[in-house]
Amino acid sequence: MNSVSGQTTSTNTFYKRVKSLCVAALAVLLAGCGVSNVVIEGNYPTPNVASLPVNVAVVFDQALRDFHYIEYSEIGDEEYNIASGDSHIALFSAILPAMFESVVMVDSLEEAQGLGLDAIFYPVIDEFQLALPQKTKLDVYEVWIRYNMRFFAGDGDPIADWVQTSYGKTPTETMRGTDAAINDAAVVALRDLASSFSLSFAQVPEIKDWIAAR
Amino acid sequence: MTQLSAPTKRHLQALAGLVLLTVLGSCTSTTVDEFRQGATGIDSGESIVILGRRHASDYETRAEFVDCVGERMNSGSDSISVIPEKEFVDAMFPWFEPRTAPLRTRDLERLMAEQVVADKMEEFGIRYMVWLDGFTETSGRTGSISCTVGPGGAGCFGFGSWEDDSNFDARVWDVGSLQNVGTISTDATGQSYVPALVIPIPLIARVEANACTRLADQLKQFVNGE
Repeated sequence: MNSVSGQTTSTNTFYKRVKSLCVAALAVLLAGCGVSNVVIEGNYPTPNVASLPVNVAVVFDQALRDFHYIEYSEIGDEEYNIASGDSHIALFSAILPAMFESVVMVDSLEEAQGLGLDAIFYPVIDEFQLALPQKTKLDVYEVWIRYNMRFFAGDGDPIADWVQTSYGKTPTETMRGTDAAINDAAVVALRDLASSFSLSFAQVPEIKDWIAAR
Repeated sequence: MTQLSAPTKRHLQALAGLVLLTVLGSCTSTTVDEFRQGATGIDSGESIVILGRRHASDYETRAEFVDCVGERMNSGSDSISVIPEKEFVDAMFPWFEPRTAPLRTRDLERLMAEQVVADKMEEFGIRYMVWLDGFTETSGRTGSISCTVGPGGAGCFGFGSWEDDSNFDARVWDVGSLQNVGTISTDATGQSYVPALVIPIPLIARVEANACTRLADQLKQFVNGE
Protein backbone atom coordinates (compact mmCIF):
# COMPACT_ATOMS: atom_id res chain seq x y z
CA MET A 1 0.00 0.00 0.00
CA ASN A 2 2.89 2.30 0.91
CA SER A 3 4.57 1.74 -2.47
CA VAL A 4 1.33 2.60 -4.32
CA SER A 5 0.86 5.86 -2.36
CA GLY A 6 4.59 6.62 -2.90
CA GLN A 7 4.19 6.16 -6.67
CA THR A 8 1.11 8.43 -6.70
CA THR A 9 3.02 11.17 -4.77
CA SER A 10 5.98 11.13 -7.19
CA THR A 11 3.65 11.16 -10.22
CA ASN A 12 1.80 14.19 -8.79
CA THR A 13 5.12 15.96 -8.16
CA PHE A 14 6.21 15.24 -11.75
CA TYR A 15 3.01 16.66 -13.22
CA LYS A 16 3.32 19.75 -10.97
CA ARG A 17 6.84 20.35 -12.31
CA VAL A 18 5.73 19.92 -15.90
CA LYS A 19 2.86 22.35 -15.30
CA SER A 20 5.24 24.95 -13.77
CA LEU A 21 7.59 24.54 -16.73
CA CYS A 22 4.74 25.03 -19.21
CA VAL A 23 3.54 28.18 -17.42
CA ALA A 24 7.08 29.60 -17.43
CA ALA A 25 7.54 28.79 -21.13
CA LEU A 26 4.20 30.45 -21.96
CA ALA A 27 5.20 33.58 -20.03
CA VAL A 28 8.48 33.84 -21.94
CA LEU A 29 6.66 33.34 -25.25
CA LEU A 30 4.12 36.05 -24.47
CA ALA A 31 6.86 38.49 -23.34
CA GLY A 32 8.64 38.00 -26.66
CA CYS A 33 5.54 38.90 -28.65
CA GLY A 34 5.25 42.51 -27.43
CA VAL A 35 6.99 45.64 -28.70
CA SER A 36 10.47 46.28 -27.31
CA ASN A 37 11.05 49.82 -25.98
CA VAL A 38 14.54 51.23 -26.49
CA VAL A 39 15.48 54.58 -24.95
CA ILE A 40 18.69 55.85 -26.51
CA GLU A 41 21.31 56.76 -23.93
CA GLY A 42 24.84 57.89 -24.61
CA ASN A 43 27.68 60.20 -23.56
CA TYR A 44 28.62 63.03 -25.89
CA PRO A 45 31.96 64.80 -25.41
CA THR A 46 32.42 68.54 -25.76
CA PRO A 47 33.86 69.25 -29.22
CA ASN A 48 37.28 70.85 -29.58
CA VAL A 49 36.28 73.62 -31.96
CA ALA A 50 36.64 77.37 -31.99
CA SER A 51 33.52 79.06 -30.63
CA LEU A 52 31.75 81.77 -32.59
CA PRO A 53 31.08 85.13 -30.91
CA VAL A 54 27.32 84.61 -31.17
CA ASN A 55 24.68 84.34 -28.43
CA VAL A 56 22.15 81.74 -29.49
CA ALA A 57 18.75 80.49 -28.35
CA VAL A 58 18.14 76.86 -29.29
CA VAL A 59 14.57 75.62 -29.70
CA PHE A 60 13.77 72.10 -28.51
CA ASP A 61 10.10 71.77 -29.44
CA GLN A 62 7.78 69.03 -28.22
CA ALA A 63 8.22 67.04 -31.44
CA LEU A 64 11.96 66.74 -30.80
CA ARG A 65 11.58 66.05 -27.09
CA ASP A 66 9.05 63.27 -27.70
CA PHE A 67 10.62 61.90 -30.88
CA HIS A 68 10.33 58.17 -31.24
CA TYR A 69 10.59 55.75 -34.13
CA ILE A 70 8.67 52.49 -34.49
CA GLU A 71 10.16 49.58 -36.41
CA TYR A 72 7.60 47.18 -37.84
CA SER A 73 7.99 43.51 -38.57
CA GLU A 74 7.36 42.05 -42.02
CA ILE A 75 3.78 41.26 -41.04
CA GLY A 76 3.13 44.78 -39.75
CA ASP A 77 3.52 44.20 -36.01
CA GLU A 78 5.35 46.77 -33.92
CA GLU A 79 8.78 45.36 -33.09
CA TYR A 80 10.81 48.21 -31.59
CA ASN A 81 9.84 51.61 -30.23
CA ILE A 82 12.99 53.75 -30.18
CA ALA A 83 12.87 56.97 -28.15
CA SER A 84 15.73 59.37 -28.88
CA GLY A 85 14.39 62.79 -27.87
CA ASP A 86 16.28 63.01 -24.58
CA SER A 87 19.48 61.84 -26.21
CA HIS A 88 19.22 64.51 -28.90
CA ILE A 89 18.81 67.16 -26.22
CA ALA A 90 21.81 65.78 -24.33
CA LEU A 91 23.82 65.87 -27.56
CA PHE A 92 22.99 69.47 -28.46
CA SER A 93 23.49 70.49 -24.83
CA ALA A 94 27.04 69.13 -25.06
CA ILE A 95 28.08 70.58 -28.40
CA LEU A 96 26.31 73.94 -28.73
CA PRO A 97 27.96 75.65 -25.71
CA ALA A 98 31.35 74.85 -27.28
CA MET A 99 30.28 76.28 -30.65
CA PHE A 100 28.79 79.58 -29.48
CA GLU A 101 29.59 82.22 -26.91
CA SER A 102 26.38 81.50 -25.00
CA VAL A 103 23.41 79.20 -25.44
CA VAL A 104 19.89 79.42 -23.98
CA MET A 105 17.46 76.52 -24.40
CA VAL A 106 13.79 77.28 -25.02
CA ASP A 107 10.64 75.39 -25.98
CA SER A 108 9.35 77.48 -28.87
CA LEU A 109 10.35 79.92 -31.59
CA GLU A 110 8.16 82.63 -30.02
CA GLU A 111 9.96 82.26 -26.69
CA ALA A 112 13.33 82.51 -28.49
CA GLN A 113 12.30 85.67 -30.35
CA GLY A 114 11.39 87.26 -27.03
CA LEU A 115 14.90 86.84 -25.66
CA GLY A 116 16.49 89.28 -28.13
CA LEU A 117 19.65 87.22 -28.65
CA ASP A 118 21.84 87.27 -31.76
CA ALA A 119 20.40 84.16 -33.37
CA ILE A 120 18.04 81.22 -32.99
CA PHE A 121 18.87 77.61 -33.84
CA TYR A 122 15.94 75.24 -34.45
CA PRO A 123 16.77 71.57 -35.20
CA VAL A 124 14.04 69.25 -36.48
CA ILE A 125 14.28 65.48 -36.98
CA ASP A 126 12.89 64.75 -40.44
CA GLU A 127 13.43 61.03 -40.71
CA PHE A 128 14.85 58.09 -38.76
CA GLN A 129 15.75 54.76 -40.32
CA LEU A 130 16.87 51.52 -38.72
CA ALA A 131 18.39 48.49 -40.44
CA LEU A 132 18.46 45.21 -38.54
CA PRO A 133 20.75 42.28 -39.46
CA GLN A 134 17.85 39.83 -39.52
CA LYS A 135 16.30 41.88 -42.33
CA THR A 136 19.32 43.10 -44.28
CA LYS A 137 21.33 39.84 -43.89
CA LEU A 138 24.40 41.95 -43.03
CA ASP A 139 26.35 41.63 -39.79
CA VAL A 140 25.67 45.20 -38.70
CA TYR A 141 22.95 47.28 -37.05
CA GLU A 142 22.58 50.63 -38.85
CA VAL A 143 20.87 53.89 -37.94
CA TRP A 144 20.39 56.77 -40.36
CA ILE A 145 18.86 60.09 -39.34
CA ARG A 146 17.98 63.14 -41.44
CA TYR A 147 17.66 66.57 -39.84
CA ASN A 148 16.35 69.91 -41.01
CA MET A 149 18.56 72.54 -39.40
CA ARG A 150 17.11 76.05 -39.27
CA PHE A 151 18.98 79.17 -38.27
CA PHE A 152 17.21 82.49 -37.67
CA ALA A 153 18.24 85.97 -36.67
CA GLY A 154 17.25 87.00 -33.14
CA ASP A 155 14.05 88.61 -34.41
CA GLY A 156 12.98 85.46 -36.27
CA ASP A 157 14.13 86.40 -39.80
CA PRO A 158 15.37 83.21 -41.52
CA ILE A 159 19.10 83.06 -42.23
CA ALA A 160 19.71 79.45 -43.31
CA ASP A 161 17.77 76.21 -43.72
CA TRP A 162 19.69 73.05 -44.60
CA VAL A 163 19.52 69.27 -44.42
CA GLN A 164 22.05 67.31 -42.40
CA THR A 165 22.29 63.53 -42.23
CA SER A 166 24.03 61.24 -39.81
CA TYR A 167 24.88 57.55 -39.92
CA GLY A 168 25.91 55.02 -37.30
CA LYS A 169 26.58 51.31 -37.33
CA THR A 170 27.64 48.66 -34.90
CA PRO A 171 28.59 45.05 -35.67
CA THR A 172 26.63 42.10 -34.37
CA GLU A 173 28.20 40.41 -31.39
CA THR A 174 27.55 37.16 -29.60
CA MET A 175 25.73 37.55 -26.27
CA ARG A 176 24.73 41.17 -26.96
CA GLY A 177 20.99 41.84 -27.18
CA THR A 178 19.29 43.66 -30.04
CA ASP A 179 18.26 46.56 -27.77
CA ALA A 180 21.88 47.24 -26.77
CA ALA A 181 23.04 47.03 -30.38
CA ILE A 182 20.34 49.48 -31.54
CA ASN A 183 21.38 51.87 -28.76
CA ASP A 184 25.06 51.62 -29.76
CA ALA A 185 24.31 52.24 -33.44
CA ALA A 186 22.12 55.23 -32.58
CA VAL A 187 24.79 56.72 -30.31
CA VAL A 188 27.34 56.39 -33.13
CA ALA A 189 24.88 58.17 -35.43
CA LEU A 190 24.38 60.98 -32.91
CA ARG A 191 28.14 61.39 -32.49
CA ASP A 192 28.39 61.50 -36.28
CA LEU A 193 25.86 64.34 -36.29
CA ALA A 194 27.81 66.16 -33.59
CA SER A 195 31.10 65.91 -35.46
CA SER A 196 29.75 66.91 -38.88
CA PHE A 197 27.56 69.70 -37.49
CA SER A 198 30.24 71.26 -35.28
CA LEU A 199 32.83 71.21 -38.08
CA SER A 200 30.60 72.27 -40.99
CA PHE A 201 28.29 74.80 -39.35
CA ALA A 202 30.42 77.86 -40.10
CA GLN A 203 30.87 76.67 -43.72
CA VAL A 204 27.15 76.82 -44.55
CA PRO A 205 27.19 79.65 -47.17
CA GLU A 206 24.36 81.72 -45.71
CA ILE A 207 25.76 81.43 -42.18
CA LYS A 208 29.27 82.27 -43.40
CA ASP A 209 27.91 85.42 -45.07
CA TRP A 210 25.87 86.35 -41.99
CA ILE A 211 28.87 86.01 -39.67
CA ALA A 212 31.04 88.02 -42.05
CA ALA A 213 28.44 90.80 -42.15
CA ARG A 214 28.22 91.13 -38.34
CA MET B 1 37.23 -2.21 -7.01
CA THR B 2 34.63 -2.22 -9.79
CA GLN B 3 36.11 -2.95 -13.23
CA LEU B 4 34.71 -1.33 -16.36
CA SER B 5 33.14 -3.70 -18.84
CA ALA B 6 34.87 -4.20 -22.21
CA PRO B 7 32.20 -2.36 -24.26
CA THR B 8 32.33 0.61 -21.86
CA LYS B 9 36.12 0.72 -22.10
CA ARG B 10 35.94 0.69 -25.91
CA HIS B 11 33.40 3.53 -25.91
CA LEU B 12 35.55 5.60 -23.57
CA GLN B 13 38.64 4.97 -25.68
CA ALA B 14 36.80 5.98 -28.84
CA LEU B 15 35.57 9.16 -27.15
CA ALA B 16 39.07 10.00 -25.88
CA GLY B 17 40.48 9.42 -29.37
CA LEU B 18 37.89 11.66 -30.95
CA VAL B 19 38.58 14.44 -28.43
CA LEU B 20 42.35 14.13 -28.93
CA LEU B 21 42.05 14.30 -32.71
CA THR B 22 39.79 17.31 -32.43
CA VAL B 23 42.12 19.12 -30.00
CA LEU B 24 45.11 18.52 -32.26
CA GLY B 25 43.11 19.69 -35.26
CA SER B 26 41.67 22.91 -33.74
CA CYS B 27 44.92 24.85 -33.72
CA THR B 28 45.54 28.28 -35.21
CA SER B 29 48.18 29.11 -37.77
CA THR B 30 49.33 32.73 -37.82
CA THR B 31 51.49 34.63 -40.30
CA VAL B 32 52.97 38.05 -39.54
CA ASP B 33 54.60 40.31 -42.14
CA GLU B 34 56.44 43.53 -41.39
CA PHE B 35 57.25 46.29 -43.86
CA ARG B 36 59.47 49.00 -42.37
CA GLN B 37 59.61 52.40 -44.05
CA GLY B 38 61.44 54.45 -41.42
CA ALA B 39 63.43 54.30 -38.20
CA THR B 40 61.51 53.97 -34.94
CA GLY B 41 62.23 54.19 -31.24
CA ILE B 42 60.36 55.48 -28.22
CA ASP B 43 61.44 57.19 -24.99
CA SER B 44 60.06 56.36 -21.58
CA GLY B 45 57.95 59.54 -21.37
CA GLU B 46 56.33 59.01 -24.76
CA SER B 47 53.25 57.00 -25.61
CA ILE B 48 51.31 55.58 -28.54
CA VAL B 49 47.64 55.43 -29.36
CA ILE B 50 46.02 52.50 -31.18
CA LEU B 51 42.88 53.29 -33.17
CA GLY B 52 40.52 51.11 -35.19
CA ARG B 53 39.39 51.93 -38.73
CA ARG B 54 35.61 52.19 -38.92
CA HIS B 55 34.91 54.04 -42.15
CA ALA B 56 34.15 51.02 -44.35
CA SER B 57 30.52 50.27 -45.08
CA ASP B 58 30.59 46.48 -44.71
CA TYR B 59 32.80 45.95 -41.65
CA GLU B 60 34.56 47.74 -38.83
CA THR B 61 37.56 46.96 -36.67
CA ARG B 62 36.22 45.71 -33.35
CA ALA B 63 36.99 47.82 -30.30
CA GLU B 64 37.72 44.62 -28.31
CA PHE B 65 40.55 43.72 -30.71
CA VAL B 66 42.03 47.21 -30.44
CA ASP B 67 41.89 46.97 -26.63
CA CYS B 68 43.50 43.53 -26.76
CA VAL B 69 46.46 44.77 -28.77
CA GLY B 70 46.83 47.80 -26.51
CA GLU B 71 46.79 45.75 -23.32
CA ARG B 72 49.36 43.33 -24.69
CA MET B 73 51.69 46.14 -25.75
CA ASN B 74 51.27 47.81 -22.36
CA SER B 75 52.40 44.69 -20.46
CA GLY B 76 55.44 42.47 -20.14
CA SER B 77 59.03 43.38 -20.87
CA ASP B 78 59.71 46.48 -23.01
CA SER B 79 56.13 47.55 -22.41
CA ILE B 80 54.95 50.71 -24.14
CA SER B 81 52.58 53.30 -22.71
CA VAL B 82 49.33 53.05 -24.68
CA ILE B 83 46.58 55.66 -24.51
CA PRO B 84 43.17 53.89 -24.51
CA GLU B 85 41.27 54.42 -27.76
CA LYS B 86 38.04 55.66 -26.21
CA GLU B 87 39.84 58.14 -23.96
CA PHE B 88 41.79 59.53 -26.94
CA VAL B 89 38.82 59.73 -29.32
CA ASP B 90 36.64 61.45 -26.70
CA ALA B 91 39.42 63.91 -25.78
CA MET B 92 40.01 64.74 -29.46
CA PHE B 93 36.31 64.90 -30.36
CA PRO B 94 35.22 65.52 -33.15
CA TRP B 95 38.46 65.00 -35.06
CA PHE B 96 38.78 61.20 -34.87
CA GLU B 97 35.22 60.04 -35.50
CA PRO B 98 34.65 57.57 -38.39
CA ARG B 99 33.62 60.45 -40.67
CA THR B 100 36.43 62.82 -39.71
CA ALA B 101 39.43 60.62 -38.84
CA PRO B 102 42.50 61.18 -41.05
CA LEU B 103 42.90 58.43 -43.64
CA ARG B 104 46.39 59.39 -44.83
CA THR B 105 49.42 61.04 -43.25
CA ARG B 106 48.81 64.23 -45.25
CA ASP B 107 45.36 64.40 -43.62
CA LEU B 108 47.11 64.14 -40.24
CA GLU B 109 49.38 66.99 -41.32
CA ARG B 110 46.30 69.18 -42.00
CA LEU B 111 44.81 68.10 -38.69
CA MET B 112 47.95 68.95 -36.73
CA ALA B 113 47.65 72.49 -38.11
CA GLU B 114 44.68 72.88 -35.74
CA GLN B 115 46.25 74.25 -32.56
CA VAL B 116 43.80 72.44 -30.25
CA VAL B 117 44.70 69.07 -31.86
CA ALA B 118 48.43 69.73 -31.65
CA ASP B 119 48.10 70.78 -28.00
CA LYS B 120 46.14 67.63 -27.09
CA MET B 121 48.67 65.41 -28.86
CA GLU B 122 51.45 67.03 -26.88
CA GLU B 123 49.46 66.69 -23.68
CA PHE B 124 49.11 62.94 -24.27
CA GLY B 125 52.79 62.68 -25.26
CA ILE B 126 51.93 60.70 -28.37
CA ARG B 127 54.87 59.65 -30.51
CA TYR B 128 53.16 57.09 -32.77
CA MET B 129 49.62 56.57 -33.96
CA VAL B 130 48.77 52.97 -34.89
CA TRP B 131 45.78 52.31 -37.15
CA LEU B 132 44.32 48.79 -37.01
CA ASP B 133 42.17 47.72 -39.92
CA GLY B 134 40.60 44.30 -40.37
CA PHE B 135 38.07 41.78 -39.18
CA THR B 136 37.50 38.09 -38.49
CA GLU B 137 35.46 36.14 -40.99
CA THR B 138 33.75 32.84 -40.25
CA SER B 139 33.23 30.38 -43.07
CA GLY B 140 32.90 26.71 -43.86
CA ARG B 141 30.18 25.98 -41.31
CA THR B 142 29.29 22.29 -41.50
CA GLY B 143 27.43 19.72 -39.45
CA SER B 144 24.56 20.07 -37.05
CA ILE B 145 23.79 19.40 -33.41
CA SER B 146 20.42 18.34 -32.07
CA CYS B 147 19.43 18.65 -28.45
CA THR B 148 16.45 17.00 -26.83
CA VAL B 149 14.79 17.16 -23.41
CA GLY B 150 12.60 14.42 -22.04
CA PRO B 151 11.32 12.97 -18.80
CA GLY B 152 14.40 10.75 -18.61
CA GLY B 153 16.87 13.58 -19.11
CA ALA B 154 18.42 15.80 -21.75
CA GLY B 155 21.24 15.51 -24.22
CA CYS B 156 22.77 16.75 -27.43
CA PHE B 157 24.08 14.73 -30.33
CA GLY B 158 25.89 15.76 -33.47
CA PHE B 159 28.98 17.50 -34.70
CA GLY B 160 29.62 21.06 -35.91
CA SER B 161 32.70 22.79 -37.27
CA TRP B 162 33.66 26.10 -38.84
CA GLU B 163 36.73 28.03 -39.90
CA ASP B 164 37.72 31.51 -38.68
CA ASP B 165 40.10 33.79 -40.60
CA SER B 166 41.42 36.94 -38.89
CA ASN B 167 43.12 39.42 -41.17
CA PHE B 168 44.45 42.68 -39.70
CA ASP B 169 46.83 45.40 -40.83
CA ALA B 170 48.57 47.85 -38.50
CA ARG B 171 49.89 51.09 -40.00
CA VAL B 172 52.27 53.05 -37.79
CA TRP B 173 52.37 56.84 -38.21
CA ASP B 174 55.12 58.92 -36.65
CA VAL B 175 53.31 61.98 -35.25
CA GLY B 176 56.52 64.03 -35.15
CA SER B 177 57.62 63.52 -38.77
CA LEU B 178 54.03 62.92 -40.03
CA GLN B 179 55.22 59.88 -41.97
CA ASN B 180 54.02 56.31 -42.25
CA VAL B 181 56.99 54.43 -40.80
CA GLY B 182 55.75 50.89 -41.33
CA THR B 183 53.00 48.35 -41.83
CA ILE B 184 52.53 45.06 -40.01
CA SER B 185 50.04 42.51 -41.35
CA THR B 186 48.78 39.45 -39.56
CA ASP B 187 46.69 36.60 -40.90
CA ALA B 188 45.44 33.91 -38.53
CA THR B 189 43.26 30.96 -39.45
CA GLY B 190 41.86 28.17 -37.35
CA GLN B 191 39.26 25.43 -37.32
CA SER B 192 36.81 25.03 -34.45
CA TYR B 193 34.89 21.89 -33.58
CA VAL B 194 31.92 21.09 -31.37
CA PRO B 195 31.34 17.35 -30.99
CA ALA B 196 28.24 16.58 -28.96
CA LEU B 197 27.91 13.26 -27.19
CA VAL B 198 25.17 13.93 -24.65
CA ILE B 199 26.92 17.19 -23.78
CA PRO B 200 28.50 19.49 -26.38
CA ILE B 201 32.27 19.75 -26.10
CA PRO B 202 33.29 23.10 -27.64
CA LEU B 203 36.84 23.09 -28.99
CA ILE B 204 37.18 26.66 -30.18
CA ALA B 205 40.24 27.86 -32.05
CA ARG B 206 41.20 31.20 -30.53
CA VAL B 207 41.96 32.78 -33.86
CA GLU B 208 41.41 36.44 -33.05
CA ALA B 209 43.18 36.10 -29.71
CA ASN B 210 46.22 34.61 -31.43
CA ALA B 211 46.16 37.33 -34.09
CA CYS B 212 46.08 39.93 -31.29
CA THR B 213 49.02 38.34 -29.44
CA ARG B 214 51.26 37.98 -32.50
CA LEU B 215 50.41 41.43 -33.86
CA ALA B 216 50.95 43.14 -30.50
CA ASP B 217 54.30 41.41 -29.95
CA GLN B 218 55.50 42.39 -33.42
CA LEU B 219 54.26 45.97 -32.98
CA LYS B 220 56.06 46.24 -29.64
CA GLN B 221 59.35 45.22 -31.26
CA PHE B 222 58.73 47.54 -34.21
CA VAL B 223 57.94 50.61 -32.10
CA ASN B 224 60.93 49.95 -29.86
CA GLY B 225 63.10 50.03 -32.96
CA GLU B 226 64.13 46.35 -32.89
